[in-house]
Amino acid sequence: MAEQDTLIEQIRAHVEDKLPALDGIVALRRTSEGTASYLFHEGDDLSQLVLNPRYPLSTTVSMLQKRFPEARFGIVARGCDSRALVEMAKRNQIDPDRLYLLGVACTAEEAEECHCATPAPDIAQWPQAELLGTPVEAGSPNPIVAEYDAMPLEERRVFWKQQFSKCIKCYGCRNICPVCFCEACALENPAWVEPGVLAPPFPTFHLIKAMHMAARCVACRQCELACPSHIPLTVLYDLMRRDVGRMFGYVPGDDLEALPPLSLTLE
Amino acid sequence: MTNSVPEFSAYTECFLITGSNTTEAHPLVASHVMEGLERGAKLIVVDPREVQIGRLAHLYLRPRPGTDVAWLNGLMNVIITEGLADEEFVANRTEGYEELKQVVLEYTPEQVEEITSIPADDLRKAARMYASHKPAAILYAMGITQHSTGTDNVKSCANLAMLTGNMGIPGGGVNPLRGQNNVQGACDLGGLPNVYPGYQKVTLPEMKEKFEKAWGVTGLSDKVGLQVTQMIHGACDGSVRALYVMAENPLVSDPDINHARHCLEQLDFLVVQDIFLSETARLADVVLPGTSYLEKEGTFTGTDRRIQRVRKVIEPVGDSRADWEIICQLGQRMGASGFDFASPKEVMEEIARLTPIYGGVSYERLEPENEGFLQWPVTAPDHPGTPFLHKGKFSRGRGKFHAIHFKEAAELPDEEYPFILTTGRLMFHFHTGTMTRRTEKLHQEVPEAYVEIHPADAARIGLDGQKRVRVSSRRGEIELAVRVTEYIKPGVVFIPFHFAEAAANALTHAALDPSSGIPEYKVCAVRVEPVSS
Repeated sequence: MAEQDTLIEQIRAHVEDKLPALDGIVALRRTSEGTASYLFHEGDDLSQLVLNPRYPLSTTVSMLQKRFPEARFGIVARGCDSRALVEMAKRNQIDPDRLYLLGVACTAEEAEECHCATPAPDIAQWPQAELLGTPVEAGSPNPIVAEYDAMPLEERRVFWKQQFSKCIKCYGCRNICPVCFCEACALENPAWVEPGVLAPPFPTFHLIKAMHMAARCVACRQCELACPSHIPLTVLYDLMRRDVGRMFGYVPGDDLEALPPLSLTLE
Repeated sequence: MTNSVPEFSAYTECFLITGSNTTEAHPLVASHVMEGLERGAKLIVVDPREVQIGRLAHLYLRPRPGTDVAWLNGLMNVIITEGLADEEFVANRTEGYEELKQVVLEYTPEQVEEITSIPADDLRKAARMYASHKPAAILYAMGITQHSTGTDNVKSCANLAMLTGNMGIPGGGVNPLRGQNNVQGACDLGGLPNVYPGYQKVTLPEMKEKFEKAWGVTGLSDKVGLQVTQMIHGACDGSVRALYVMAENPLVSDPDINHARHCLEQLDFLVVQDIFLSETARLADVVLPGTSYLEKEGTFTGTDRRIQRVRKVIEPVGDSRADWEIICQLGQRMGASGFDFASPKEVMEEIARLTPIYGGVSYERLEPENEGFLQWPVTAPDHPGTPFLHKGKFSRGRGKFHAIHFKEAAELPDEEYPFILTTGRLMFHFHTGTMTRRTEKLHQEVPEAYVEIHPADAARIGLDGQKRVRVSSRRGEIELAVRVTEYIKPGVVFIPFHFAEAAANALTHAALDPSSGIPEYKVCAVRVEPVSS
């Protein structure tokens, strides 16, 4: 706890240092009205800057950069934010040259909770970045993936059918996803998904989403946290990431320079 | 609700969900139910429609609409005859057991099957499952209440919970899921014809005196006022000449809306306060623009008696004003005292002063860094609030069993109108659609009304691939799209009531529960005919 207290103090001090040179820094702000993403400016009360609950701040950065094409913003970014920004940069959703990345290493507990493979931003690849906190080892892999691997094919189908029968089509998984940014979403296209039906058609609804996550999903776990029906979505996306890794040697979020394999063919 | 929503994920071992399309109408409550199921809890769903949560159930029973007292008595019959009742609870905490027993013993599973069409063995299994997993929670919504026997249905749910000792414990109880974010608050604060805030009866002289003194007035009425359904009838017979409707759209939501429209047209003066120009507002002499939840300060009291702050994010748009401001301005302009509040916080201070169950509520305590929320009864500033009711003792002392016989719904199908119509909500729209039907994404999901009909019935009426049907009752008729689905029970059709242009409530009828005055939205007789396109 003491270590965490020091880290947040350190982050606030660095944000204060950097603010004069930037048009603002995106981070979470907690007030009596709740916690939300916020663009901190000079003079703001930095004691309100917090790290939790986790929220995809990369989406806020993308929105701000598009709206203010000359501005230079900063972001207080965890490993997952950084990975999302990498994939967004490759798809012209953010401009790395106009971004200052104030990286934060997650704690061992956080890494374990998220089963996170890279619990700190790789700052070397960002034009302007620094890292606060000490990077920790990767968390253990999601145990449900191993359980799933042990299932015969038919059992896997039953597993997903049961899980997706709980879906209430709230679109929370899509709306929270930092790498879901299409203006026209296939999930809302009646040619692909019959509208107004609950649970949404199995397996098309969720498999369309999964296919679109191939070589994109950066394992931030936000979709699973957002799901009101407790569907273990990261299992599906962990499997997808594993396949993409094996087939194309591509790890989304790892390398700002590596071209996404599906962009070269399908996108 | 007697209990709290988070108890479902934490404690409940068996859920009995009836007359509630929980995942669609209360998705956040459903989320806690699902967590409970992942923990290993059992789920029994009783509903004429195979609602989504029914597909996750360990037992799914499908009664004929309007037969709830019969199957609830049937469950109690099995529990008593198989010795599964909580005898200690019945002996120490309740009264009227012998009378109850006498009545429910008449409802053997076989007899219940005849009335409800629930297979006798399924009923036995459900009774055993509910009685042998404790704590067990009953969750219900309008499928239980919106009947001419709604009060009987609710009392029967309470009988069942008491019989098994599921009252006054975390994770158990009788849990009506309220249909709007603040309908509990509206009732708590006196939005009922017979009570002041906090359910203090208007007929009691000491209450009259208390409020006259507090408000500095004399002559407060000690008579029970009109129920909402009686007001509409009153408009027709001239006993009500002016009506002030706030945030309600009776021309879509009332039963038998053709009649309701006729009644409202007889009024001398109609005021509607709403955030949109609803069907009802179009009929009004004066429309007062209210504000949305983003434009106002105050509190909402949720279904589990949970009082929480709502906070203004933007200033009111255009000429709109917060509802409390409009009401206070009206009061002041009518020359009344007691309407000079400067903020909703001051209103809450008066509520706390005059309402024992809200006695300990203050905006300070509702700040997130303090308690964040409070659940009534919270009677004093140092009272912690009450997550579940009736611990150790009922508010009336002993819990009273009501021995209740099954009564048929007011209108049953016949040769001319052979189907039972039941109405309800969808995931994608809210109530009369004044808000959700203005939302492009939700409109895309379900752009128009439809009727659900079973494939066997579709064949029986000669639908033959037609896409539209005419549904008529003794009160009106509508034309709408048709969905053929096995999710609906044969002999029953379902229409969501969100759609003014094909309003289900043109068909429903205004048979009322004699006690609560709630209309029988869930059962009426209709005819369905294909419309050639």
